[in-house]
Amino acid sequence: MNDLTRQFRDFFVSLKLTVVLLVLSLVLVFVATLDQVNLGIWAVQEKYFRSFFVLWDVKGIPVPVFPGGYLVGGFLLVNLIAAHVYRFSLTWRKAGIQMTHAGLILLLLGELFTGLLQEDFSMRLEQGVPRSYSESFRDNELVVIDTTDPKSDEVVAIPESLLRSGASLQHPRLPFRLLVKDYYANSALQMKSGAAAGAPQATQGIGITVTAAPQPLTYKQDERNIPAAWIEVAGEAGPIGTWLVTTIAGTPNSAPIMRAPQAFQHAGRNYVIGMRFKRSYKPFTLTLQKFSHDKYSGTEIPKNFSSRIRLETPAGKEDREVLVYMNNPLRYDGFTFYQASFEPGNDKVTVLQVVRNPSWLIPYIACSVMTLGLIWQFWIHLSGFIAKRARQPQAA
Amino acid sequence: MKALPALATGLTLLVAATGCQKEEITTYRVAKEPVPASPSPAATPAAAPAPAPATSGTTGASMANTPVATASGNALVWTAPPGWTAKAAGSMRKGSYAVKGDGGEADMAITAFPGDVGGDLANLNRWRGQIGLPAVGQAEFDRETQHLDRNGLHMTVVDIVGTGTTAQRILGAMVPHQGATWFFKLSGPDALVAREKKAFLALLDTIKPAAPAK
Repeated sequence: MNDLTRQFRDFFVSLKLTVVLLVLSLVLVFVATLDQVNLGIWAVQEKYFRSFFVLWDVKGIPVPVFPGGYLVGGFLLVNLIAAHVYRFSLTWRKAGIQMTHAGLILLLLGELFTGLLQEDFSMRLEQGVPRSYSESFRDNELVVIDTTDPKSDEVVAIPESLLRSGASLQHPRLPFRLLVKDYYANSALQMKSGAAAGAPQATQGIGITVTAAPQPLTYKQDERNIPAAWIEVAGEAGPIGTWLVTTIAGTPNSAPIMRAPQAFQHAGRNYVIGMRFKRSYKPFTLTLQKFSHDKYSGTEIPKNFSSRIRLETPAGKEDREVLVYMNNPLRYDGFTFYQASFEPGNDKVTVLQVVRNPSWLIPYIACSVMTLGLIWQFWIHLSGFIAKRARQPQAA
Repeated sequence: MKALPALATGLTLLVAATGCQKEEITTYRVAKEPVPASPSPAATPAAAPAPAPATSGTTGASMANTPVATASGNALVWTAPPGWTAKAAGSMRKGSYAVKGDGGEADMAITAFPGDVGGDLANLNRWRGQIGLPAVGQAEFDRETQHLDRNGLHMTVVDIVGTGTTAQRILGAMVPHQGATWFFKLSGPDALVAREKKAFLALLDTIKPAAPAK
């Protein structure tokens, strides 16, 4: 083993590194907890824990100021595994410590997989209307839908992250090019008459009467950003038109004018363009049969929310009614549907939270392994102690 | 300890992979969406409290044609201009909107109280007090107010501006209806409220009694 490899090994197996990393994670958790006041829980998780570095914005340039959760957690993981491998010896006496550490490693990996794989969506169901998709709480998408077929729609969904002012988007399924003339990550709509001059101009659809003004990004838990973009659709023969698209139409109380699809024709086919909350389609449909919102009699205090839902698969494999209420979610096909919310004054709508987390079992397994390891470790010590006591001659 | 470098490399790759989640354009075919059997909440003509944004990612609603129930049973409805964001109405308000602009945020409050709440002059002076203006008499009241008649309703409209560099402005309308008085008040920074005056007057044009509940 050469010097460099030895240094490398000594660094990663050292207990000092463990202590430094634990102190760093303490500081990280402390600062992140305080910053929740400003950012809310989701943004804090993204900024401090699901990142390699905590970035500070210094005059528009992001400067790394502290190691983020992935870096600290990653090093901790490497440190744990390296020490484990280095000091490993297969004896019953050490089995407890090894199991406890293995559980800890599993716990760290579980959090990593949860961060990478968990989906957290919302599903708004109107009574009697089958729905087979859920919508993201935060992500949005630009969609161009070919509606020519009378039975089905062909959707081209472009993630919001690809929208940048000046970006040109092309896709083999689209016989035209999309040019992002302007894009605001959060916006407020206003009448065009009252708007400041210089805002981008739409030539088609709602953008003729209304326009959007940029707004600061919101991180609050009960608010979401309303992005807006001006999209020019250009065919081979030149521009077809420019549309203002925004997700405000997806909000339940938006005006009918905002809900009307923005349609156009090109090369004999019908298209609709729009921006919406990112959708995740499922291979089954849910239909709200009845939403119940019980209150304590004589008060407005909610007592219970429940949704009676019909679950159907297209092949007819499943067709049953389920009742979803507080602490009694529907679990189906890897998804969990929780009763999440409702719309005040509208008892024909329910809002479910849809969670998919393929690694949900890992923390349970990790904790069980750690518990068994600790029990084993204590038992070894206890039995050793008892045996020692038994061997000692009784005092007179 | 040959395993160590390989292990470290593997883990580094795993950690690096977490930073490379590039989103891509997707295409798929879906069955056409059925048309909702029940009317959308924006068009529901039943008596209901003003819409509060749901907490589950549906915030930011606006432009509701919001029917409101009063204690006496009959309500007024209106259509908020596009771009006004509906807020939770709370227990006191019949409707509540945020109006955002470069100079901050203005607040549109719609409330209703039984009777005439002390009379229009007292109400004007209450609003004047809120932006630091002294109370006025009847003669000044007559000069400061406009009168509109819309959809069978009489509206007393005021437009008052406070003093100082951070002057606040209030655009208000008092609408007596069925033994109660409805107040439509847009308050906020002078420039922003002035800009929204057209939208405010357009909202007043849309106020009308709600269709009786079935």
